[in-house]
Amino acid sequence: MLVPVGESVTLRQTVGYAVGVAEETDASAIHFVVPVAWHSAGDVEPAVRREVETLLDRVQVWAREDASGTTPAVETAIIGEEQYMFSPDDYAGVLADYADAHGVERIVVDPEYSPGGNVPLLRAMEVSLVERGYTVEEAPVETPVRRSRLTRPGGAVQFGLLFAVSFLFYQLLGGFAIVTGDTFDLFYELVTGTIAAGIVAGSLHRVTMSERPRLRRLGVQLVRLSLYVPYLLYEIVKSNILITFIILHPRLPIEPRLTRVRVAVWGGSPLTTLANSITLTPGTLTVRADGQYLYVHALFPSAREGLFAGTLERAVRFVYYGRAAAAVATPEERGDTELLQRPEEDADAGASVRSGEGSSEETRREGERSEEARTEDERSEEARTRDDRSDDDRTPPGDGGGA
Amino acid sequence: MSELELGLRTGAILVLLAGGVFFTFVSAVGVIRLPDVYARAHTASQTDTLGAGLVVGAVVLTYGFETEVIKAVLLLVFIFITNPTAAHAAARAAYVEGIEPWTEGEERR
Repeated sequence: MLVPVGESVTLRQTVGYAVGVAEETDASAIHFVVPVAWHSAGDVEPAVRREVETLLDRVQVWAREDASGTTPAVETAIIGEEQYMFSPDDYAGVLADYADAHGVERIVVDPEYSPGGNVPLLRAMEVSLVERGYTVEEAPVETPVRRSRLTRPGGAVQFGLLFAVSFLFYQLLGGFAIVTGDTFDLFYELVTGTIAAGIVAGSLHRVTMSERPRLRRLGVQLVRLSLYVPYLLYEIVKSNILITFIILHPRLPIEPRLTRVRVAVWGGSPLTTLANSITLTPGTLTVRADGQYLYVHALFPSAREGLFAGTLERAVRFVYYGRAAAAVATPEERGDTELLQRPEEDADAGASVRSGEGSSEETRREGERSEEARTEDERSEEARTRDDRSDDDRTPPGDGGGA
Repeated sequence: MSELELGLRTGAILVLLAGGVFFTFVSAVGVIRLPDVYARAHTASQTDTLGAGLVVGAVVLTYGFETEVIKAVLLLVFIFITNPTAAHAAARAAYVEGIEPWTEGEERR
């Protein structure tokens, strides 16, 4: 019997059910497997691997716990490491390979199991497995009362922080009548402000913060943010003037390219800050964010160079991690930059042009090894076609790197 | 407030407003002139950054430093957060649809 497992709320029950069925049917072994798509794990691979291993350990312990008398052998495995799994069919294929190798025909799935992370693949995967001729069965689990996905455990710190921010915001909108007004104003603003902030904090303190806020760090980050904002404004003004020049230029000297940058900031809010700052700066536009990869559309070469030089990225790192972290190499030096001609599917077919020579690590992972060798040819090829195409010289000043 | 001061202030307000209108205008020109959806999304953010920024600057000067100013600045903060989000949503939709970015020498679309 084969049981694909992953982190889920009903995993415990599924294990129990699978062991029960295995004993009833006298199955010789239960295989608990975790199909993994390492390609999406990026830098965190060792950590993810450890997580998967502890998950399997846990499953094994549970299975032994549930087993009585005629204990079927419990096997665990990580599968699909070498494959590129994307569609439900890919997952089904990987499971089928394992099942065939071990002579398994019965597959039990956890109905809450989600192989593709947030992407709902499970039902399609089951159908695909049934089509391949396996007996597929969902474990009859009782879903525990599901907490809404938005809420997280919140405590006094979250409540206090949110209350303080809401209260301040309320007073801000009220023009600080609490200080400037008379006694009536003081009481009025105090009472209404407390009620309003109380409602906001009471209803949202479990929602707004993704992790337990550390007040000191938050304070330091706020101070750094206040240094970042003027810098961002300066960048915005600079590129605004440049783009104004370009738009009003009779020949419209643009050279748009889709680029992909693996940025060296981690986690939700730093990444959001960076992506938003990139979009705010005219000339660069964040098209997509995929893990640590940002797909950025750059309108002209100097915008692209600025992006690859990572000035904004460095500033965001400074805001979130301090001065030491700001000194990381630029994306270009790291080889984390890449030019795509068009959306990804086509780019993968071989149309992408690399900008950095050091992007070999990534190349290997994507399985596009042959492309690196072609890069030089392709680049000159591309330059030639561009020359052929353009009747007039559209290349703006500062474009040395393209050709 | 002396007459000179008033004159200077009015002048500054006019300059800021003119700047705001200019950049908004350029942004509109850009939306018309630029060749494809991605490129147009770039210039849309211009309206909201310098365009709105300068106009809010003019508002600040007009009111003097009073409570309305706080609201004006807050407005700017919200624009700075929501505008890139909207631009990103439009560009992402185009990307997901598989629209290829325009490159030099192609037809405008």
